[in-house]
Amino acid sequence: MKNLKNLIIEKTRKIITEKGVDCPTITLNSEFLNDLPMDSLDLATLIVSLEISTGLDPFRDGFKTFHTVDELINLYTEANS
Amino acid sequence: MKHVIVTGGSKGLGLAIVKYLLSENYTVSTCSRERNSAIDELLSQYSTFQWFQVEIGNAEQTAEFVRKACTWANEAKLWGVINNAGIAKEGILATFPNIETDSLLQINLHGAIYLAREALRIFLSQNSAGRIINISSIIGSRGYTGLAAYSASKAGLDGLTRALARENGRRNITVNSIAPGYLDTEMSSTLSDKKREQIIRRTPMHRLGHVDDITPLVGFLLSDGASFITGQTITIDGGITN
Ligand SMILES: NC(=O)c1ccc[n+]([C@@H]2O[C@H](COP(=O)([O-])OP(=O)(O)OC[C@H]3O[C@@H](n4cnc5c(N)ncnc54)[C@H](OP(=O)(O)O)[C@@H]3O)[C@@H](O)[C@H]2O)c1
Repeated sequence: MKNLKNLIIEKTRKIITEKGVDCPTITLNSEFLNDLPMDSLDLATLIVSLEISTGLDPFRDGFKTFHTVDELINLYTEANS
Repeated sequence: MKHVIVTGGSKGLGLAIVKYLLSENYTVSTCSRERNSAIDELLSQYSTFQWFQVEIGNAEQTAEFVRKACTWANEAKLWGVINNAGIAKEGILATFPNIETDSLLQINLHGAIYLAREALRIFLSQNSAGRIINISSIIGSRGYTGLAAYSASKAGLDGLTRALARENGRRNITVNSIAPGYLDTEMSSTLSDKKREQIIRRTPMHRLGHVDDITPLVGFLLSDGASFITGQTITIDGGITN
């Protein structure tokens, strides 16, 4: 599987640029809903598209909170192990 | 070509909606628990039609249904889903078995939520607009003796409609309920003659509804002209709830 970190950052950037807005630098500490021009539907789109390309669903057994890019990477890494 | 998924398309209102949409050149997928001659006939008539055996209310089967239907529809992108499959069971709640309540809510309400979820995942990932139509009932807002669980399921559907309309409007996804009055289908065939007469007497249009009274509104809500209508429960009942 492609490096999860790169995949998540790449897909996040794609979702933002498809909205027609400039994408700021995405760091591991970037908070999706505070630091990036994303709303809750954009975040849902990211999760769906990650599931389509990785087959992983870290939320299958219930909600897990995350705010930052790093926290999301950790959830996918755990689901992949 | 636009692809529309209709649940419970083998009989009654669902079958009428399927036929109407095929005649309007939509690509249509439907499901039911059992295949019947109406489905066989449509399959032999239309290459733009497909049927799947699905138990609505089962989340895994619903996800699989949507996946298979969209693969089958191929170039025709998913444009709409119509939550029509439903059951009605009658009985005074005090003696209504809990297991019947559970299965009714599982089909009428959970089933609709599962299908809406699958559709929204597709609309979001294709970055496309879309339409969700929930077939509710006037009983959801008015209640009816002996139909407490059914009434609760339809009120729940209307709540789902309003919440999803708010949640997804900014992606040009509309969500509406259609609330028919009493329709002449298999579902209402258990109405006693006395009840039937009473309903007709109280209906300003002086008859029961027909499935063809409902299908044109489904067509309209799927059309471009309805792109600013969302979160609504639209009643078609010959005026009985007036
Ligand atoms: N008839 C009325 O007076 C009336 C009034 C207001 C609203 N409605 C609503 O209109 C909708 C259609 O009703 P109708 O009168 O057309 O009912 P119907 O004649 O009994 O048809 C119901 C359809 O849904 C399918 N179905 C039921 N449970 C299912 C399940 N678990 N999984 C998959 N398919 C299922 C049935 O096929 P299988 O049995 O083979 O699965 C059938 O195709 C319902 O939501 C109903 O509540 C009806």
